[in-house]
Amino acid sequence: MNAKTTLPEIPVDAETQRRVEQFLFREARLLDNERWDDWLALMAEDIHYWMPTMENRRRADKNGTYAIDRGALYNDNLRDLTRRVTRFKQPTAWAEDPATRHAHVVSGIEVYQGGQPGEFVVHSTFVNYRSRVEKDNDLLVGRREDVLRAEGDSFKLARRKIIITQSVLMAKNLNTFL
Amino acid sequence: MCNANGDKPVRLKRRPIAQSIENLDQLLSLEQGRMSRDVFWDKDIYEQEMERIFARCWLFVAHESQIPKAGDYVSTYMGEDNVLIVRQKDGSIKGFLNTCPHRGNKVCFADLGNARQFVCNYHGWAFGIDGGLKGMHASETYEAAGMDKSEHGLHPVAHVDSYRGLVFATLDPEAPSLAEYLGDMRYYLDAIFDMDEGGTEFVGGCVKSVIQCNWKYASENFVGDILHAGWTHDSGAKAMVGGPVAEVHKTPEQSYHVNFNGHGWEFNQDIVGNCATLGEKDLLKYLYVLQPKVAERLGELRSKMIGAISSCTLFPNTSFLPGQNTFRTWHPRGPGQIELHTWTFVNKKAPQEIKDMWRKGTMMTFSPSGVFEMDDGENWEYSTRSNAGFVTRQQDLYLGLGHDTRVENTDLPGNVFQGQINEANQRAFYQRWLDLMKADSWKTVPQRDVPKMKEGV
Repeated sequence: MNAKTTLPEIPVDAETQRRVEQFLFREARLLDNERWDDWLALMAEDIHYWMPTMENRRRADKNGTYAIDRGALYNDNLRDLTRRVTRFKQPTAWAEDPATRHAHVVSGIEVYQGGQPGEFVVHSTFVNYRSRVEKDNDLLVGRREDVLRAEGDSFKLARRKIIITQSVLMAKNLNTFL
Repeated sequence: MCNANGDKPVRLKRRPIAQSIENLDQLLSLEQGRMSRDVFWDKDIYEQEMERIFARCWLFVAHESQIPKAGDYVSTYMGEDNVLIVRQKDGSIKGFLNTCPHRGNKVCFADLGNARQFVCNYHGWAFGIDGGLKGMHASETYEAAGMDKSEHGLHPVAHVDSYRGLVFATLDPEAPSLAEYLGDMRYYLDAIFDMDEGGTEFVGGCVKSVIQCNWKYASENFVGDILHAGWTHDSGAKAMVGGPVAEVHKTPEQSYHVNFNGHGWEFNQDIVGNCATLGEKDLLKYLYVLQPKVAERLGELRSKMIGAISSCTLFPNTSFLPGQNTFRTWHPRGPGQIELHTWTFVNKKAPQEIKDMWRKGTMMTFSPSGVFEMDDGENWEYSTRSNAGFVTRQQDLYLGLGHDTRVENTDLPGNVFQGQINEANQRAFYQRWLDLMKADSWKTVPQRDVPKMKEGV
């Protein structure tokens, strides 16, 4: 697992907790509304945005369910995320037209002090529901582990690890961020 | 119950072949560039495909690099049959149906791993990596019943063989050799899987997803349809390289469709066109440095295929993209669904950072989140689903491009057609499909294509 999970879980004050929650709720709204550039602006320059795929391995198998050098749906830096956004914005992104309807539901937000001053380790759960055209509906549920970095009066997303429950992605594509 | 085979029961039973659906010939008029939509929708046709195509053909089941050590295994599918592909102590590879011969439960629920034995969760039947039944919970009760353990091992697949690191298996004891099955397509396979000494390996694990489409839409896309790229994938190309897909239809003199036994490859000779879509200059440099060495090993033409704009399907349901280095199998799940398994292949001797770039490149382009694959699924889903319409599916489809493009006088193996914007490979794919669907056994499958390569090469 991620080394950051071994940090002691030192809670933050209520105001910081509230501000982090607002950041994540706003991020979800930006994605629901396809405000891609505004969403990109939340990323730190050194963002690592990672969503590994889940392998079914025996518990005794030391290789574990996922790892950084194995399968992934996202293993992105800022350039990669920007490329994905570039596609979303093309008039020829056929699988986005008519528009997909998104609902990013975020809950279970826990905020702890991070490994560096001004950084916070943030755990959250999510439900993502996408609907397209008449009745294409795709559901993803999972958990995220973020590192947020204080910047000005808000935050930047410096790390995100997204763990979904599905092993075989039960959808033809993943045309959203989580 | 078991078929007689001397004193040992046959461990892979096959029923006598079921009677074919009548008038299959009417589904295809390939000379006229016409085909019926029933092949994508009809449930009886799908059931016949399971018997006459998937339980008969050589199917890709693993890359040798996935199972290097004794006991290493992967769980995969041959049609809808779940199989375990297992490296043996002597270095050979065996395949077994992933089902306990006692009550039928799966004996392995992991996707991959290393095993000393496979133990069924239900009654504790334990099988060695060679498939033999070694023991079980409360074994004395079976001894009291007079059960002979040697007759109750895992059910083996009929044959396993490999070519250039790609492992194939067949469930039909009567199948021709893998070399004969692949035939002249091996000449082209070498351009990718033998371009470098040391061959290829899979890196980064397997990414799996579900698409609600008929399996043939995916296979026929990769067998010859570069045409769709310029339109379907415009947004992906703009994302990755800042401009549209190369206009390959304007330079047909530099490109080909080649096919053999229903396998097909469309390609041009631009060396790096596919690779360029990954947007990593270091990968292009790697290929350009390698190309003259490949020319020495395999000749000029094949050296220009190593990362060129191209795609390939090995009949029936395995495909790959040179340069983008995605390798994939479209497992059928009923006439209207596939389970897509994808891997990344790289040259084994390539530097680690080059391998990492390709692993990431396939994710960025040809995975469910990839900017190219993103737009494929919806096309194939609605090409399939529109046939729910009772009258809609009575309307024929067109596949007539490139009718007079056959290149007759050529040293190139296989059936060669000028111009990669073509539907010659798609027609050959469906001709092979029809031949197999009509034939009651391998013996009556017509050998349309004359091999130029020797079988044992």
